[in-house]
Parts: sequence; C-alpha cells; structure tokens
Amino acid sequence: MLVLVLGDLHIPHRSNGLPAKFKKLLVPGRIQHILCTGNLCTKETLDYLKTLSTDVHIVRGDFDDNISYPEQKVVNVGQFRIGLCHGHQVVPWGDTEALAQVQRQLDVDILISGHTHKFEAFEHENKFYINPGSATGAWHPLDSSVESCFVLMDIQSGTVVTYVYQMVGDEVKVERIEYKKN
Amino acid sequence: MQVLGIPVENGRRALCWKLLLNYLPPSRLAWDEALDGQRCAYRRFVREMVVRPGGAAGGSAAARVDVTEHDHPLSDQPNSQWQTFFKDNDVLGQIDKDVRRLCPDISFFQQPTEFPCQEVVCGDYHERLHERVQRVYLDSASVCRVGLGMQTKVDAKRRQQEHDYVALPGGQEAHWEVVERILFIYAKLNPGQSYVQGMNEIVGPIYYTFASNPDARWREHAEADTFGVFTNLMSEIRDFFIKTLDDSHSGINFRLRLLMERLHHHDPHLAVRLKVQQLYPQYFAFRWMTLLLSQEFTLPDVIRIWDSLFADEKRFDFLTEVCCAMMIQVREQLMSGDFAHNMKLLQNYPPLEIRTVLAKAEWLLSR
Repeated sequence: MLVLVLGDLHIPHRSNGLPAKFKKLLVPGRIQHILCTGNLCTKETLDYLKTLSTDVHIVRGDFDDNISYPEQKVVNVGQFRIGLCHGHQVVPWGDTEALAQVQRQLDVDILISGHTHKFEAFEHENKFYINPGSATGAWHPLDSSVESCFVLMDIQSGTVVTYVYQMVGDEVKVERIEYKKN
Repeated sequence: MQVLGIPVENGRRALCWKLLLNYLPPSRLAWDEALDGQRCAYRRFVREMVVRPGGAAGGSAAARVDVTEHDHPLSDQPNSQWQTFFKDNDVLGQIDKDVRRLCPDISFFQQPTEFPCQEVVCGDYHERLHERVQRVYLDSASVCRVGLGMQTKVDAKRRQQEHDYVALPGGQEAHWEVVERILFIYAKLNPGQSYVQGMNEIVGPIYYTFASNPDARWREHAEADTFGVFTNLMSEIRDFFIKTLDDSHSGINFRLRLLMERLHHHDPHLAVRLKVQQLYPQYFAFRWMTLLLSQEFTLPDVIRIWDSLFADEKRFDFLTEVCCAMMIQVREQLMSGDFAHNMKLLQNYPPLEIRTVLAKAEWLLSR
C-alpha cells in the first residue's frame, strides 16, 4: 500500500507550487492514501491533493485557512498505527524527546510531524519518526535554504519501506529506508 | 457425445473437456506426466507474476540507500518493476470488476474454495490480487486537546462499497478470486491480447465444472487445469477477441456472415425477413458467438451446449448451426414481430428446452 506523506507547502505565501519534476512524478492512480502534515495553506492545494488520491488525511498547521482540520490524527494502516501532527505545538520544534512524548500520548508506531521544513527519518526507542520536510521547498524562519522533499511509504504487513524524494539542485534524488515493527 | 452430452457422474465431463481441448494427451499412460508438467508450470507463473515489487529488500534495515538510479514507486523508467505493476493494475481493475459479477444467479463463486493458493493466502510476499485495485479508506481518529487531558474522537467510517462478492478473511479464498488470478495470469502471458471483457464468461463455466468435480484429486488442481484448458480454448477463439482481426478469415465478422449464409440455406424466408428489417447479426449473434452462448442460457444449459461444441471435430461449425437453430426455433415470432420486438427477442433469448435446440442444430448440420 503506497502512502504519500508531505506537508508545509505554504502555497501561495512562500512558494508558487510544487517543483515541476515532482508534479511529473506524482501521477494519479499510483498512490492510495495521502497523509499531510498541514500548512497547505489554501483549498486549491487540497483540491490538487485530492486529484492524486481520494483518501486524504490532514492535520492543521499554524498557517492553514481551514480551521476545521484536527490538531492531531491517528491513522491505522495495516498493522501500523500512524500519528500525524503538524509539529508547531511541539516545543522545542523537531526535538526528539518532545516528539517521543507525543508518540507516547498517541500510542503510535510511527509519528509523522512537520514544521521544521527539514527531512528526517529515524528510529528512537523502537518507534519510527518521519518528518517529510517541505514539499515546495518553502523557506523557514530558522532556515532559508530549504530543499523540496516528500516521502512515500510502501507499507506491507510489518514492514515500512520509506522512499524519500528530494530535489538536489535540479535533479530528483531518491533514497529508501526500511523500518520493521518488532 | 455431440448429441447426447456428457454424463456428469464421477467427473467424466471434466475429464472429457480436458481431453477434447487437448489438455490431456489421448494416451492414458502419458496423463500423469502431462498433468505434472502443466500444473508445475502454472504454479511457477503464479509465483513469478503475482508478486509485488519492492518486496525483496536488499541492504540492512534503517540504512539509507540511494535508489535514484534503481527502482522506486514513482519511477518512469520503462524497465521499472513498479511501472509494470501499475500498468498491470489497470488490467486487473477491469478483471476485478468482471469476476465480481460472474454468474450472479448461483452462489458458487462467492463460496470459499477448498484449495486456496497457499502462497497467496498465507505468505506476505504475495499479495491478494483484488487488494491491489481496491479503493480503501483508512480508519482514522482525530485527537484534540481539552484542558490538560486528551480527547479522542473517532471519525465516522466512510461508506465502503458493498459487494456480494466480498473477500474472505485470511486463509480463505473465494472462487471468484481464483478466477481472477487465472485471468490475470492469462493477461500477463498474452500481452498482445491482454484481457478483454467476456473472457470471464468463458472461464467461468470451465472453472465451475472442474471445481465441482466429485473426485478430490482432480478438484485440488482445478485452478491449474482450468488455466490450461482455458488457454487451449482461447487459442481457438482468440481471434474473436482481437479487434484488428475482425474482418479476417478467422475474425468475428466472417463468422457472422457465415451464420447468415447458413440461415439463408436452411430458411430463406427468415433470412430475408431479417435482412429487410435490417436486423444485422452484429446486433445479437456477436455476443452468441464470441462468448459461446454462455450469456444466453443458464449455467447448466451452457455446460450442456459446450459438451456439444467441444465435441465438434470441426470446432465451432456446430456453433453456427446452434445459432441458426436458435433463430429457427423462434421463427413464428420473428416472422410476425417488428424490428424492436425481434431485436428484444434475440437479445434476450427466451428460455427454451435446450435439448430441442441442439437436436435441431444436429439435424441442420446434416443438411
């Protein structure tokens, strides 16, 4: 099952859209589910995501128009419980211990958060943490040189293979990371 | 055999079909060898083709591997496994829709099979085919903070499409899933032809006959045997399913012309009548011929007709005669009705005693 994870697009405030190479890669019919960490920020962006997959799960970021998105969300994919949270509420931003606290509160196997605009994927005390970065490469107050990035998770029973798509210069770089549930 | 049909006792019909369609060699001594070969080949196909990409993971866990040049799910390289996977899914989507409406008047295809394919049901490397094209919504719950505590709110589950043909829980497989796999593997092995709607109607009765064989030793291998027999049968009627061959000697248009010539030979008045009304055989006999009449009659009758069709040495000449006989059987109504009435009559053929139709066809053949 392919799950697209992305967030912090900040369209139109900080970026005018996804990189053309990403748009070419993201064709409808391949991705079954989308998990979005928020800050889209407008309805147009949501409409675009819905063209890629009918099942879109979003949490609210600090710049979202739509205030009806929930703060945090828990999604079950196969054997995995996945927590979704934008991350501006978690201070210090992107801190491992602070995120681990959210992970324990939500009781999830994988915690996905955003806000720092910096891709990260790591295991901490047997749980998996993913930060998909910013899909449009929007700037961040603490970091002005942000690369566009999104994550695709291939979830099979007990295993998550994470594919990371990153714009490096003008080219798309793809990496894969595996996580097994014990 | 052609006239009287094949007795169903002790799975003789299934055995006869296998012989008639060249799945089994004529000599009884060579059977075991032939069966082993065909069944092994089929198992190998399943193992090779019903696999999803990205399963065989190389490298250590949690290490980051650069796969830009290799395979990844959004790859647009022509040799990408994922690319093939998604292309197959298009075909599979069509197959999935069609097998779920196979013979809705009997519950056979919704029942679990006794011999599910172990690799698919139990292994996690192989995926059940219908799951690849299923549209699912994930269970999710929104969490919001109230004061110091947490409050969880479970989202209302979105309406899932309701099917009669539901997938069975782990370890079990319904018959329609087996048929789906047969068709998928056939489509993969014949990329030029792939899957065309209607093939499900051909494979259905064959599978039904084999899987309801009273002898468990035969029944166990119904899937592989069906695949073999279906492949042999398709090699004979394949040209009906290829659009570019429609006008060729073996194509469907030629067969339809032949049908009208035969009808003219047997019953000139009726043939002229249909011509005057501009009731072309394309409108009704197209389906009769391509699907070997499997849509016109109930399943037991279809199986009975197929006994005769398969027993025909000059295969499918007899089919032409059966179609003629069907028209002549309702001659009175056709001669009196107008275009709309006749069209409706021929497209929704009334339930008739099948034995009389076949006897009539037999008599026509001798003329």
